[in-house]
Amino acid sequence: MSSTFYSSSTLVAVLILILVLLIIAGILYGIENNLKNLLRDKDPGSVESSYYQRVIKPVVSEWNPTIVTLVVIAFVVVIGGIYGFKFGMEEVGVQQGYSPDQPINFSHKIHAGTHKIDCQYCHSTASNSRHASIPSANTCMNCHAGVQKRDADGNVSVEIQKIYDAIGFDAETSKYIDGYEQKPIKWVRIHNLPDLAYFNHSQHVAIGKVECQTCHGPIEEMDKVFQFATLQMGWCVNCHRQRSVDMENNKYYEDLHSDLKSKGKHYISVAENGGLECGKCHY
Amino acid sequence: MKHALPYLEKPDNVTPGIPLYYATSCGVYNEGFPIVAKVREGRPIKLDGNDKSTLSNGGLDAIGQASILSLYDVNRLPNPLIKGVETNNWNEVDKEVINKLKAVSVEGKKIAVVTPSATGPVLQSAVNNFVNAYAGAEHISYDPISYSGILDANEASFGKRVIPNYQFSKADVIVSFGADFLGTWISPVRFQSDYSAKRVPTADNRKMSLHIQVESLLSVTGTNADHRFTMQDSQEGIYLMSLYNALAKNTGATQLRSTGDKELPGNGIKQIAEALLNAKGRSLVISKSNNKDHQVLVNHINMMLGNYGNAIDINKPYLSSTYSETKFEALVAGLQNGTFGGVVFVNTNPLYSYHNATALEKGLDNASVVISTSMVQDETSSKAAVHAPDNHFLESWDIKEPLKGHFVFSQPVMTRVFNTRQVIESLNIWAGSQVSSEEGSYKLVKEYFANNIGGDWKQAIHDGIAEVSTILSNVEGEIENAMLSLNSTVDVAAIESGAKKTGDLELILYQKVGPRDGTWSVNPWCHEMPDPVTKVCYDNYVTISKPDAEKLGIANGDMVSISSKNASIDKIPALVQPGQVRGTLGLAVGYGRNVNQKMDNDLRDLGHNAYPFVEMPGSSNSMVITSGIKIEKVGGNYEFALTQTHDTIEGRGHLREATLEEYKANPKVRNEHSHHLISLWNEHDLSTGHHWGMAIDMNACTGCGSCVVSCSIENNVPVVGRDEVRRRREMHWIRIDRYYSFGGSNGKSMTRQNDVDAASADLYEDVEVVYQPVMCQHCDHAPCETVCPVLATTHSSEGLNQMTYNRCIGTKYCGNNCPYKVRRFNWFRYNMNDKYDYHFNNELGRMVLNPDVTVRSRGVMEKCSFCVQNIQSAKLKAKKENRNLSDGDAQTACAKACPSNAIIFGDMNDPNSRISAIKKDERSYHMLEEVNTAPSVVYMTKIRNKK
Repeated sequence: MSSTFYSSSTLVAVLILILVLLIIAGILYGIENNLKNLLRDKDPGSVESSYYQRVIKPVVSEWNPTIVTLVVIAFVVVIGGIYGFKFGMEEVGVQQGYSPDQPINFSHKIHAGTHKIDCQYCHSTASNSRHASIPSANTCMNCHAGVQKRDADGNVSVEIQKIYDAIGFDAETSKYIDGYEQKPIKWVRIHNLPDLAYFNHSQHVAIGKVECQTCHGPIEEMDKVFQFATLQMGWCVNCHRQRSVDMENNKYYEDLHSDLKSKGKHYISVAENGGLECGKCHY
Repeated sequence: MKHALPYLEKPDNVTPGIPLYYATSCGVYNEGFPIVAKVREGRPIKLDGNDKSTLSNGGLDAIGQASILSLYDVNRLPNPLIKGVETNNWNEVDKEVINKLKAVSVEGKKIAVVTPSATGPVLQSAVNNFVNAYAGAEHISYDPISYSGILDANEASFGKRVIPNYQFSKADVIVSFGADFLGTWISPVRFQSDYSAKRVPTADNRKMSLHIQVESLLSVTGTNADHRFTMQDSQEGIYLMSLYNALAKNTGATQLRSTGDKELPGNGIKQIAEALLNAKGRSLVISKSNNKDHQVLVNHINMMLGNYGNAIDINKPYLSSTYSETKFEALVAGLQNGTFGGVVFVNTNPLYSYHNATALEKGLDNASVVISTSMVQDETSSKAAVHAPDNHFLESWDIKEPLKGHFVFSQPVMTRVFNTRQVIESLNIWAGSQVSSEEGSYKLVKEYFANNIGGDWKQAIHDGIAEVSTILSNVEGEIENAMLSLNSTVDVAAIESGAKKTGDLELILYQKVGPRDGTWSVNPWCHEMPDPVTKVCYDNYVTISKPDAEKLGIANGDMVSISSKNASIDKIPALVQPGQVRGTLGLAVGYGRNVNQKMDNDLRDLGHNAYPFVEMPGSSNSMVITSGIKIEKVGGNYEFALTQTHDTIEGRGHLREATLEEYKANPKVRNEHSHHLISLWNEHDLSTGHHWGMAIDMNACTGCGSCVVSCSIENNVPVVGRDEVRRRREMHWIRIDRYYSFGGSNGKSMTRQNDVDAASADLYEDVEVVYQPVMCQHCDHAPCETVCPVLATTHSSEGLNQMTYNRCIGTKYCGNNCPYKVRRFNWFRYNMNDKYDYHFNNELGRMVLNPDVTVRSRGVMEKCSFCVQNIQSAKLKAKKENRNLSDGDAQTACAKACPSNAIIFGDMNDPNSRISAIKKDERSYHMLEEVNTAPSVVYMTKIRNKK
C-alpha cells in the first residue's frame, strides 16, 4: 500500500508545510508593518518609505481587487491542477520518459548493446508468461560468478558487488556463502499498467512476434532505462489497428483462416480479429 | 514508486504469471477428498475436484471450495501456546507436553488422544505410536455428526462395523428416509455426481432414475425428489416396518408383525413398494436415522430387494466414520471421576459440538493436562494448557483412505503461513520417536507409502490418488455378495416403543449445505452463500410448518424461544417452511461458534448452537428429539437476509418442467411454442471464430450452491455481509433461483402466489421445487448494451457481453434494463475497508485473490463474464502449442465446480462441442425467449419421473 493515490502522505505533508510557512511569513510581515506604522505615527520623518510604498503600492492600488483575487486563485488552481494531474496519471502508469534510479545501476547498453545478449536470456518468461519478469539474481550469477570488473586495487565493481551481497557470494573465494541471509533486490518498476488493464507479454512476443523494441524503445542504447511508450490505451489501439494477424503459421487460426479466405479476405488486422474489444484486456 | 522484487534463486518450475496445479486432498472431509489446487506464485488461489478420481468426477461442493480461505485466516494461531503464552520454540512445547503426560502416566491415570474417527493410515500410525508410548493411553474418536446407527446395524447384520459403499449410479429406484445425500449426508459430492448421471434423459436414452424421498423437513435432497412424502421422524420405524411388510407380502417373506402398519399420506408406502418391486436388485433404500434398529430394518429391506452387491457394496466400505458414542461417553465420565488425567484433542472440538458440553467442561477442568492441536483458538482449545497448532491441510503431507483401497494423497501446496507443525509429527515426537525436523511428515508419509501401498511415489503424488486392488483382495473377512446373509433380526418391540407419540412437537436438528457441522463454518463464503432451500444467508432459525405456525400465531421472522429437556434458546427467529411436516420443528447445527475472532464482522456470534439439544436415547446419539419440546413467541420480528423473496413463478414460462411420461410422448414438451420475434437492432455476425455458450440442465442441478462459491473465489467477488444482503446488495455473479409449486401430487400444481395464499395451509406440505441457476445470459441482443450511455458494456465478436469497469460511470441503466436481473452494482469499496472486515480487508486474506481478475471499486456495475480470463488463457495456450482449441479447454469456474455436471460451457461454433449438441436437444430452451434477447445460455426443461 506504499503507493496508492489515497495514501501518498508525502504530498499532503509538503502541502501542509508550505501552508504553515506561508502563514508564519504573513504574520511576521504584518508584525513588521505594524511596528513601522507605529514608528511613522510617532515621527513621520523617521522611517524611510520602503520600496513597496515607493514603487509597488502606486501600481497595485490601481488594480481591481476582485480581478486580482480571481487571477491568483486561477493561478493556484492551474498550477495545482497540473501537478495533481501529473501525479494522478503517474499513479495509473502514464509517465512516459519515467527513468527512476535503480538499486543497481544496471546498463542495458552494455549487456544488450555491446555484448548483444538476447533480451530473453534474462527476461526469459516474456515468451511464455504474462510477465516479462525482472530476472532472478541467479540469472545474473550465470555470468557474474566469473565475469567481474575489478578496479586497479582489485576490488570488484560496486554494482556487481551488490548482486553478491544480495545472493550471498564471496568474490574472493568464488563460492556461495553457506547460511547467508539473502536480501532481495528492490527494483523500481518503470512500466506500470493499472490493475484494470490486463497485458500478456507472451501473446505479443510469442504469438504476435512483436519486437521488444517496438514498445520498449532502443533499449540496447539505454544506460538507464526510461519508459519509451506512453502505455496509454490509444497507443495500444493504434498498434492493434495497424498490425495484421499471422494466421498462416499457427494451427489455432486454421478454421478461422479458411473461413476468411472463402470470404475473400487475406489480410486481417488485430483490430478486425477482435483486438479492440474491451473484454480482451479489461476483466 | 512501485517496486518489483524478483526471486533471488527462482525455483525451476515456477514461472511468475503461470499457474501450477497440485493434486492434494481436501481436509474438510476427515476421510479425505481428492482435489486439485491452483497455485500462482506459490500461493493457492482455487480448489477444484480431481477428475482423475472416481470419487469426485471433477466437482467439489461449496464448503470444499470455501475451505481455501481457512488457509489465509487471520484467526489462525501464529505460534504454539503454553498456558496461553505464545512461544516460537517447539522444543519447549514438546518438553512441556512430554513432562505433563509422563506425570499423568506416573499418577496411574489414563490419557486419551481424541481424533476424528476417519484418521487415515498415517495419522492412525502416529496415534498408535503415541498410545504405545504412554501407559494408560487410549485412542478415542469423536465426530460431531454420528453415523453409529448405520455402523452398529452393519455389525449386527454382517459382522462388519462399516458404512457400506452406496452407489447411486447403479440404482434405478432410490428411496431415502430423510437422508440428505445430495447436501450433507456422508459424502454428498460423490453421491451427487453418481446420482445425477442417472437423472438426465437424453435423445438416445429417454430414461431416468426414480427418486422418492420421505422426510420431515425440506432438505436439498427432498427438493430434488420425483415424489416426496412427509412423515414425522419419530414414526420412521413404523413406516419402515410397513414398507417391509408391503414388500414381504410380495416376495413371500415373513411379515414383521400382523397389525399396526401405517400408510403415508398419499399412499406413499404402496407407491414406494411398487416402485421397489419393479426394480429389484436395481434399487437403493437408505435412511438418515441414527437408530440401530431402524438401520437393521433398512438392511433387511435392501437384502430382500437384492441390492447388496449392486447399489450397496459392503466389501469396499466408505471409511468416513467409525465413530462410536460409547467410548467418548466413557471418556467424559472418566474425566469427571478422575480415571482420565490427560487429553490430547487432535483437530477435534467437542466442547462446541458435544451434546453435554457442561459435563465435558467440568471433566476438562479436572484433568491435569489438556492439549489441543486445532488451527484456531476454538471452544475446546480454550481449556488447553498446551495449544500446538496443526498445519492447514494445504500445508500438509498425508495419506487418506476414503474408500477401502482408494488412497488420496495430500501434499503441501504452500509453505507454512504460520509457525505450526503437522500433528502427525507432533504425536510421533511426543511418543518419543525420532522425527527429522527438516523432512518431518514428508518422510513419515513416504515411508508409509513405500511399506504399505507401494508403487511409483512420484506418480502417486502427481495423480493425488492411488487405487490399490491388491489391498482389496486381502480385505479381512470379505464376503461374496451372493453369500451375504443377515445375522440380525429386526427388533419390532424396540421400534414400536420408540415411535410412541407424546403429542409434543418434534425437533429435528439438521446440517445446512454452507456451514455443515460447524467445524469449518467460521468462513464468510459458507454464510454469504444462501441456503439452497430457504435462501437465507448468515443465520440459523427454527423452521416451522404453516399449519403449526398458524396455530401458534407465529409469522415468518417472529422471534421465538425454544426449549427441550436439556437445552434452550431464548430468542431465535422462526421461518415458515413450505414442505415441512406439521408437528415438527427444524433447527440447523453448525452455528453459534465461539472462536477467538480477530475480525469484526457478521461471523462473530453468528446464530445459535443447536448441539446441546442432541439427545442420547441409547448407545447412539439422536438429532431427532421427540418429546419435551416447547416453543413460544417472545415478541419482536427479525429480518432475514434473503436473496430471493418471491417463491413462485406465477405461471410464467421462464422455468419449464414436465413429467417423464409427457417427455417420452413428446420430447419437445413445453418447448413446442415458437414466438414471433422482432429485433430493432442489426445482428452481430458471430459465425466466424468462437461463439461461447452455456447450457444448464435443470434435471442435473441439485441446487447445492457449489457454483456460487466457486464463482466468488474465481472472480474476486466481495463478501458484503448480512445487512447488505438485506438491502438486496449481494454481489454474487451467479444465483440459484429456487421456485416452489404447490399441490403437485394431486394433479395440477399451483404456481401463482395468490392461489397459494388463498389455499389452505395443508397445501404447504405438498411442495415441488425447481432450481434454476441464473447468471449473465450473454445475450446477442443485449438490452443492457443499448442503454449504456458510455459504452461500458459492449458485445464481443465471440458473443460475450463485456463489462468494462473503468469505463462505467454507475448510471445503473444496464441493471434496470436487464430482464434477468444479473447485474450487480458496487455500492461501496469492499476492499481495504474496515466496514467490510472480511478477507478483502487484510493482507493475508487478500492472498486468495485471483491476480488475473480486477478487484472492482465503488460505483461500477459488474456481472458474470463467462470467466473470460479462462477463455483468454485457454486460447493463448492453444496458440502457443500451435493447435486448435478443443472442447473443454476453456472452462468457467461454475462449470468446473459442479459435482453433477449441470453446467456445460463451450464454443457453439464448434460443431463437435458438447454445447453444440445440447443446443439441438429437444429439452433446450432460452429463458424469456419471447423478448428476443437471444441469450447464449440455454436451459433444459426439468423432467420429473412421475405420472
